[in-house]
Amino acid sequence: MGNILFISDRLEKIQQYSDIFNKKPYNFTAISDENAVLEAAELNSPDVIIFDYKFNNLKKIIKNLKSINDSTAFVLLTQNGEIEQNITKYINSFLTEDLSENLILSTINVNLKTKQSLEQLSATNKNLADSLYRLNVLYSTSSQFAGSLDKEKLVNYMIDGMDKSLSFDLTCTLAFCTDTEPVLLLNSLYELSDELISAIKLRAALNYKSLFEDKTPPFEIDIEKLKVVKTVKYPANRFTFNLFRYDNMFAPISLGDNFFGCIEIFKETPFTSDDATCFQTIAQQVSLPLKSATLYQEIMETNSKLEKLERLKSEFISIVSHELRTPLTAIKNSLDILSSGKCGEINDSGSKFMSMAQRNVQRLSGIINDLLDLSKIEAGKMDYHFTNMNIHSVIEYVRFALSGVAKEKGLNLIAEETANLPEIYADSQRLEQVLTNLVSNAIKFTPEGKNIMIRSHLARAEQLNAPECFKEIVKKLDGEYIVVCVEDQGIGIAEKDLLRAFDKFAQIENSLSRKVGGSGLGLPIAKQLLEAHNGAIWCDSEINKGSRFYFAIPVSKIPAEKILVSN
Amino acid sequence: MKKILIVDDEQDIVESLKFVLESADYICYCAYNGEDGLKLAKEIMPDLIILDVMMPKINGYKISRLLKYDNKYKNIPIFMITARSQEGDKLIGEETGANEYITKPFDLSEVVEKVKQYLEA
Repeated sequence: MGNILFISDRLEKIQQYSDIFNKKPYNFTAISDENAVLEAAELNSPDVIIFDYKFNNLKKIIKNLKSINDSTAFVLLTQNGEIEQNITKYINSFLTEDLSENLILSTINVNLKTKQSLEQLSATNKNLADSLYRLNVLYSTSSQFAGSLDKEKLVNYMIDGMDKSLSFDLTCTLAFCTDTEPVLLLNSLYELSDELISAIKLRAALNYKSLFEDKTPPFEIDIEKLKVVKTVKYPANRFTFNLFRYDNMFAPISLGDNFFGCIEIFKETPFTSDDATCFQTIAQQVSLPLKSATLYQEIMETNSKLEKLERLKSEFISIVSHELRTPLTAIKNSLDILSSGKCGEINDSGSKFMSMAQRNVQRLSGIINDLLDLSKIEAGKMDYHFTNMNIHSVIEYVRFALSGVAKEKGLNLIAEETANLPEIYADSQRLEQVLTNLVSNAIKFTPEGKNIMIRSHLARAEQLNAPECFKEIVKKLDGEYIVVCVEDQGIGIAEKDLLRAFDKFAQIENSLSRKVGGSGLGLPIAKQLLEAHNGAIWCDSEINKGSRFYFAIPVSKIPAEKILVSN
Repeated sequence: MKKILIVDDEQDIVESLKFVLESADYICYCAYNGEDGLKLAKEIMPDLIILDVMMPKINGYKISRLLKYDNKYKNIPIFMITARSQEGDKLIGEETGANEYITKPFDLSEVVEKVKQYLEA
């Protein structure tokens, strides 16, 4: 159990110590030649060196030995405990000339024991340091995994993590997830010949097939065409076929039914069980982010498909609407010419049908305009001309334009003016469009003899009161608003249908609304136009009593003179 | 009598414009594509041109520019017909040379009114 080196040129001492230690479990060597000391200390790698104080040049020898054998225990044989001060720091224990055999034995044994414990401790320490390093690698690899949705990067992080924690000689990764076709990634310490690569390819393919036993593998691989991506650390050296005698480990990279590839790793020195755990852990860890990346990719692809569809739809609507306008113009012109009487008189029932045709041309062109407006808004191509303006000009315009239509139906269209309302910053033409739509709807849905009211007032956002389904919309408002309300005494809308009234093409199931027609786009357009104004639109209603449609436009914060300057 | 040139590949539109303008005592010349339209314009020196924007070969926009950059023709008023309402504003002004634009579907009586404004002032 202990290598003991005794340095002395006194024969009687050598004899004495030899008698004590020349037996098991000791391995005793005595050196009396000054020049042989260093060599012996290196060869025997002693656990304990005992120095005789009488030896020549002792101080120098001790210093030299200490520098090459730091962990060896140094014991000094003194005459009677006297020592030179500056040697003390190198010496672990002392013996005296007249010490009994037992005491000598016990002193040396203590030193041997200490040395052994120290060695154990340092070995444990090294293991700990190794584990810590490996843990660090695992940690940084897993944070890399968590931070990426790029499959190629993920696979490279995996190989990188294995390199750092296992320091392999070669990894062969068959990846099915980084490209449209399978790729064999070779990360090698040394250069690989073409023959060796062919052999590795074959081996990788066999390994892969072995994973699925008698089932069909998820991907076909054609060894001839298999793409190889090679990364070599030291291209000056070459691997030979001996590589296949190296220790190896193999693992699939998969999660549930998702198969991403497999990896085999080679190393000249054998892998430990810790290595195996580490290898499995990394191979398993990468599959979850690979799965996420796959899902992410699918989502992105679906998204871009949807975006393309949405764009196509807008373009389609726009093209179709334009194409519809030309024949519509021809029909309209013909009807106008016929009804002008320039082609001869038309009798009463003829002119009835003539005006029916004209009315429907009007309606059709209204629908086309709505469709175009909506596709323009959705494509972000709607032009707005914002100015500081008063809401009354809009209300008055719409009241004037529609009072005739209202009167024809026997309805009273009343606009109540509120004095001293502040200005709003808005596009008057768009607001006229919104209000015209609301009032036209009211006219459509209100039976003869009733009233339609247009009101306006100033309100703070928190004072606005809307039914439950519009709470979210109204909650977004902040500050002061001009609120315009169109109130009718018509058929009303059921509470569950209120929100849907603003959906595209969602004419509420109701025979009367079907009867009065329309594109069903007026309210969705109004909603979008108001959003462009940072405003909102909502309604409340009671079946068979009537509806109130509200819209709110923020009070202008830009002083009139500033707008003049900017224009 | 004043001469008006109507250029549009849509014959039905040309027909109806011709009818109302002739009823309003104008002489109408018609062309059904850009090339013929440009040739006719140079031949007859019309007092006003009504041009469709979307036509095969030479579109209305090009014809308008060609005429407006020629001193001989630059004073002839040009009306553009478009199916794209959002294009309207861009069609008037120095760049295209058009004086007015008409969006499909238009009102024949309004077109006649506008023509009168240019030719009877």
